Amino acid sequence: MADNRPRENSLGIAGWVWAGNYTLERYLYLLHRVTGLGLILFGIFHLTATTIFRVQGEAVWNATMEFLNNPVFMVGEFLVVTAFAFHALNGLRLILQELGFTLGKPVPPIYPFKDAIRRKRLWTLVTLAAVMVLVVFFFIDFAAGGPG
Amino acid sequence: MKNAYLNFAQMITGIMVAVLLFIHIAVQKLGVILSFLGFKISDPLAFNSMMERARQGLWAGIYICLLAFGLFHALNGLRNILLETGLSPAKMRTLTWLIIIFGLIFFALGTYVPLVLLTT
Amino acid sequence: MSGDAVKNIIFRVQRYNPEKDERPHFEEFTVPVKHGTTVLEGLLYIKENLDSSLAFRTSCRMGICGSCGMLVNNNPHLACHTQVEEFHSNKLTLKPLPNLPIIKDLVPDLTTLFEKHRSVKPYIIRPDEEEMEKPAAEFTQKQKELDEFLQFTYCIKCGLCIAACPTSASDKKFLGPQALGQAFRYCADSRDAGQDQRLAIVDAEHGLWNCHFAAACSEACPKGVDPAFAIQLLRRRVVGSAIGAAKAHTPAGVVAPQTETRAKVPVPEFTVKPK
Ligand code: HEM
Ligand code: SF4
Ligand code: FES
Repeated sequence: MADNRPRENSLGIAGWVWAGNYTLERYLYLLHRVTGLGLILFGIFHLTATTIFRVQGEAVWNATMEFLNNPVFMVGEFLVVTAFAFHALNGLRLILQELGFTLGKPVPPIYPFKDAIRRKRLWTLVTLAAVMVLVVFFFIDFAAGGPG
Repeated sequence: MKNAYLNFAQMITGIMVAVLLFIHIAVQKLGVILSFLGFKISDPLAFNSMMERARQGLWAGIYICLLAFGLFHALNGLRNILLETGLSPAKMRTLTWLIIIFGLIFFALGTYVPLVLLTT
Repeated sequence: MSGDAVKNIIFRVQRYNPEKDERPHFEEFTVPVKHGTTVLEGLLYIKENLDSSLAFRTSCRMGICGSCGMLVNNNPHLACHTQVEEFHSNKLTLKPLPNLPIIKDLVPDLTTLFEKHRSVKPYIIRPDEEEMEKPAAEFTQKQKELDEFLQFTYCIKCGLCIAACPTSASDKKFLGPQALGQAFRYCADSRDAGQDQRLAIVDAEHGLWNCHFAAACSEACPKGVDPAFAIQLLRRRVVGSAIGAAKAHTPAGVVAPQTETRAKVPVPEFTVKPK
């Protein structure tokens, strides 16, 4: 007899990325996760550079800084601070909202429905605007070739 | 309760990391920020100024706190992600231990150097 | 489309018969559609006129029973509550709700949804067992207390939120937006005294903390339940009770049963009086 058990139909990890056409916050969730993981990678790299190379004295440190002072790492640094600005500010929004702040009160379900996060969309937009301001600042610094 | 504490700590360490990393980055970019305002100082990234900071207890304290909070936040966050990938409880237990061991080794590495610098 | 003009729309339906098929495949049907035709009516047309073996689930055909959830053009909808015109397209792709197993064609297996729903104790819990099982009188509740959770009571267990949720997609043990939302609905009820029991259930691995407020569930929900909002309010209570900042709560008392019947409202003069 054929196997008649219901067939597995989960989206799996691909479902983190896309499961239909949703608006902003579902993609901010993804970006928060990706930037978090990216910052871990950077943190490992950064800490290794600043500990192991630093105790070896001035010559090794300066050689490391010299090695890092090239366009690839400069772009990398810009990406890291951008990811950080997003993760930090979106993280603060999540902390507030996940503790029930800034979301208002339950409303009677009268059509057309609008959920709390979309009634208070302004907070998400304020967060993103603040991220943009920081990124512009970082970009000016990057374009000016600030110390790496 | 365990989960509530771990995840509330995730939020608190997030805020602490935000504050401390802001200080950290602001200092690294001090030259840029001040030159915006028309001042010129020696490069905060230069070896001497860095070693200078490393010898002050306050800076060592800030860096060690940043490391501790940052490691907890990053590794607990990583574990939360792994929890959602459908791994078996046994695999998850192994991974949790690996993450804890990695965190301890990294914390030792990261504190050893500032402590050595503090005492030289 | 205006008036009663009929237009032919292609329904591209995912088929899967566990007795015959190795894997799901698509079949196309041409369905005549008028102004106001729902997706469900289209499916009924196919079943009655084109292919009687097509399986889908429906009962109330008015957005009340939660049977007919499915993906229409990749987004979760109630088939009965969605008109074909909404999509401005000559072709609709219908698939069963993801993150739930497929029984046949467009029929998802809602067993896990109901098990999870049941696991959060979705009923009023009273300190007094006797009163809970055999209530002798009504519990009091003010309108203001009802407003605290009214919107969350409208859940019809359709599973659309589970199809939208990124955590439900990869974590089968995750309680999911439906069950977590209902856990809050009962905790927020002024008549209830079961909050501690429910918080212990949701504050666990694969529970409340695996919600990251992507809020897709609330966008998908056809009843305006806003499960994502309920979950954040629930999280506030979990954190509150963990750090000892929870508000004390005494469940509402009971109204003494009415012994006398009040006099009937007099029939107004202008109404047609019964002979
Ligand atoms: C700068 C301040 C930061 C704040 C305010 C912050 C805040 C947060 C918050 C609130 C969460 C939980 C989000 C949720 O509920 O899904 C989170 C998750 C996470 N954070 Fe941070 N964070 C910060 C910095 C960092 C850094 C520096 C790293 C990496 C080294 C990091 C790595 C992670 C990871 C991996 C996650 C898990 C992501 C997920 O579950 O999707 N965070 N962060
Ligand atoms: S919360 Fe909304 S989408 Fe989820 S099962 Fe209930 S009615 Fe359906
Ligand atoms: S048939 Fe009942 S909700 Fe659609």
